[in-house]
Amino acid sequence: MKSLLKTLSVGALALAGSASLYAEESVKVGVLHSLSGTMAISETSLRDVLLYAFDEINEAGGVLGKKIEPVVVDGASDWPLFAEKAEQLLVKDEVSVTFGCWTSVSRKSVLPVYEKHNGLLFYPVQYEGEEMSPNIFYTAEAVNQQAIPAVDYLLEEGYKKFYLIGTDYVYPQTTNLVLLEYLQSKGVSLENIGGGLRKGDDGSIVSAGKYTPFSHTDFQQIVAEIKAFAASGDACVINTINGDSNVPFFKEFAASGLTSEDCPVVSFSLSEDEFRSLPAKDLVGHLGCWNYFMSVDSPENTKFIDGFQAWLKTTDVPGVVKENRVTCSPMALSYSGVYIWKAAVEKAGSFDVDKVRAVLEEGIEYTGPAGTMKSLKNHHFVKNVYIGETLENGQFDILKTMEGVAGEPFLKGTFK
Amino acid sequence: MKAFFLIVTILASTLLPTSGVQSENARRLFSDLILKAGDEDALIDQLAETGDPYVIDLVAAVRIGGLLQDPVTPDKLIISLDNQYAYLLGGETFTGDPASLDKVRASRSLRKKFSRVVSLIELASPDYQARAEAAIKIGASQKEEFLPELRKRIDTQPTNTLKEAFREALSLSLLKNGTDAEKLEAIEALGDLSSVSGRDFLKTAREAYAQDESAKQYLAACDTALKKIESHEKRVEFIGTLFRGLSTGSVLLIVSYGLAITFGLMGVINMAHGEFIAIGAYTVYVVQNQFAKIFEPGTFGFETYFLWSLPFAFLVPAILGALMERGVIRFLYNRPLESLLATWGISMIIQQAIRLIFGAANVQVTTPEWISGSFELFGASMTYNRLAVIIFSVVVIFMTWVLLRRTNLGLQIRATMQNRNMASNLGIPARKINMLTFAYGSGLAGLAGAFLSQIGNVGASMGQAYIVDSFMVVVIGGVGNLVGAAISSMGIGMVDQLLQPVLGPVMGKISVLIAIILFLQWKPGGLFPSRSRSLDD
Repeated sequence: MKSLLKTLSVGALALAGSASLYAEESVKVGVLHSLSGTMAISETSLRDVLLYAFDEINEAGGVLGKKIEPVVVDGASDWPLFAEKAEQLLVKDEVSVTFGCWTSVSRKSVLPVYEKHNGLLFYPVQYEGEEMSPNIFYTAEAVNQQAIPAVDYLLEEGYKKFYLIGTDYVYPQTTNLVLLEYLQSKGVSLENIGGGLRKGDDGSIVSAGKYTPFSHTDFQQIVAEIKAFAASGDACVINTINGDSNVPFFKEFAASGLTSEDCPVVSFSLSEDEFRSLPAKDLVGHLGCWNYFMSVDSPENTKFIDGFQAWLKTTDVPGVVKENRVTCSPMALSYSGVYIWKAAVEKAGSFDVDKVRAVLEEGIEYTGPAGTMKSLKNHHFVKNVYIGETLENGQFDILKTMEGVAGEPFLKGTFK
Repeated sequence: MKAFFLIVTILASTLLPTSGVQSENARRLFSDLILKAGDEDALIDQLAETGDPYVIDLVAAVRIGGLLQDPVTPDKLIISLDNQYAYLLGGETFTGDPASLDKVRASRSLRKKFSRVVSLIELASPDYQARAEAAIKIGASQKEEFLPELRKRIDTQPTNTLKEAFREALSLSLLKNGTDAEKLEAIEALGDLSSVSGRDFLKTAREAYAQDESAKQYLAACDTALKKIESHEKRVEFIGTLFRGLSTGSVLLIVSYGLAITFGLMGVINMAHGEFIAIGAYTVYVVQNQFAKIFEPGTFGFETYFLWSLPFAFLVPAILGALMERGVIRFLYNRPLESLLATWGISMIIQQAIRLIFGAANVQVTTPEWISGSFELFGASMTYNRLAVIIFSVVVIFMTWVLLRRTNLGLQIRATMQNRNMASNLGIPARKINMLTFAYGSGLAGLAGAFLSQIGNVGASMGQAYIVDSFMVVVIGGVGNLVGAAISSMGIGMVDQLLQPVLGPVMGKISVLIAIILFLQWKPGGLFPSRSRSLDD
């Protein structure tokens, strides 16, 4: 016991020593993800890929000659805690930039903190739009870089009926409302949009689609409804269910005899990383739409995947899972975010948030695993959009690529 | 029934060389299609003309990556069926290393065409349900070229159900391709057959007729037909809701029956109940992996893994439950608050242990072929895995009833649960009985986990999703009353499914909880409050 204490204290001293040694020639960068709780399964992967990016940059000489010193904090899937940790990063650690958040509600919780202290946050996960904070850059898929291209593809393929289903929170609700407007603008009648509509007091539609609570397990009723909806063909399902509820949904879907040929499901929250814990045989042929797939064939992507795998083998960060790792869109966009920030800092010649923002708003171009990205004045990015179908090995076969789609956060009311 | 067919087909496929040369024509066409040698549409037509059921296997194999290519000889395709590798042309066994092969994929558009070919071939399928479904798919495609095929086959169908399916298919197609008289007949037929597939086609047709003044007769026919279909749908919906209520109820029943014993009978507030469910599910996962090592996945031997896993899914949690009773619970029999905290702690330890052993991500348990899929009853679709849960819940009730009411052990259990000290004085080994009862309750939880692995997630915290529901069921049923638990789980399941279509899953769940609160205000002891003569009650 004594010797254990001794090693611990020596370790702590060594850490403190190295930290002070770092201080002059390093720049602090925050990583704000849930490393425990329900979101940990997804968010831990982002922590891993960020640490990989920092190591890679440090090896190549750092940013403006300074090494990146990551400050990793755990949001613990607890939204108020995210705000506290953000405050800690900005006030106590004085980080130059933060990479973090997964759920929209965590982003909404930290947004006022970043605005108050004029911090800088890069947000990497697909979201519902209708937001543009001066202190956040959204490397994530905006609705017009994921949901709308996917619907376009389905319309092109001749599908005429759309069933909307999602988990009951802000991202699915908002996305489905935008999609409802979009589908109507494309001539799809309300009758052919399944899942139910809810009208407000003034008669306007306030909610479209079927919603389930988080970790819902009983999808019998919903699948029966989809089956009746799809009985006359040309129907598809737009799925914004989040997390592990997807497993009982796809199991019920497959068991009821529906297949991806009869009625494909396009999912916006299922990437390669999630497929690791899903029944692959029930998912074959269903669709996904992201700004990056692991199967994108480019030298940058090969370098990214190989580099990440090599990093996994050598890293000694505790808690990093080393087997069966894949890359997915939120990971690639997190990674790209780091390099875009680096490019912006180098162009601005400073770590100052106002200067970096100004440069980013002018436009920073970066070619990485997800193809060429360019920052826009609206804090979103020009990116490639890929549509793929799921293979039995949990990868996507890319069916269609749309290059250079500009992210646009405000879509409600723009479709006529 | 389906399971029986499957076993027969599996046996047949291992005994008979279905991969023989008689399918050579289909094989050649298929190979040409994949390798893009020739005009795709023409080849598809020829493939459909062969009517060879082997095409169904081929299409299924392509779908799951079972069509392979040797990089050395890319023009020779290799097919993998049931883990046998053979050349597509000629059927010779491939003797090289399967790992050296590349997977060959079919594009989405080609797969869609395949799917139509499969439907055409299944028009002659020996599986009547597949045949009926295929006919309706063909009809719903409304393609004129399939009309003669449907007309030709309609009269030779052996059963009435099949005849009706073909008539429905024919009417669907005639709705677009028929003469005016045929169209009218088709509209009426679709109404008479209560065709759900026809509903949207009729609606479209109705809109067109509504524009046309001279088509009053058609409009009226459409309205009548739609009305008939609607009332049929309502009836199907009702039956479906009953089945789903029964199924939700039986899920609740199997997850809560173990708790009805440990909490209801024994009075232990067992917060680790959910974790015993998880342990049961993980036991199935382990058995599945062991089977996968011995048998190749997809073979008959592997398919039986679920049955073999059931005894383990009972025994492993039962033994752990016995250990827990010996190590912790027995010191806390008269201290409910402490037992609540202690079992809660144990539940967290078990969860973390599972994460350490199996990793934090959920694991995959494959559903054996014989409990996947669905069947139709009075038009409502029901899935086999849910049916299995319903049957299993009946078995659980029966097993428990026999144990408690028809065995000596049961008598001793009941005596001990009523009054531990008095039972002990009368010579009943109360300590042993306590342990066995707790182990039985934990074992039932494990079995519940085994069945849940077939319909949902298997993860370290899966039990958390069920613990509240379990307590709810036991409290509503009346603590200590097993019949009450059975009735309350069925009741909650039914109410849940009846409310869901009206209110949606979120509001439905909330309404059920409100109803339960109100119910407990009215009847604090639950459905069947236990009466007791002891003074402290």
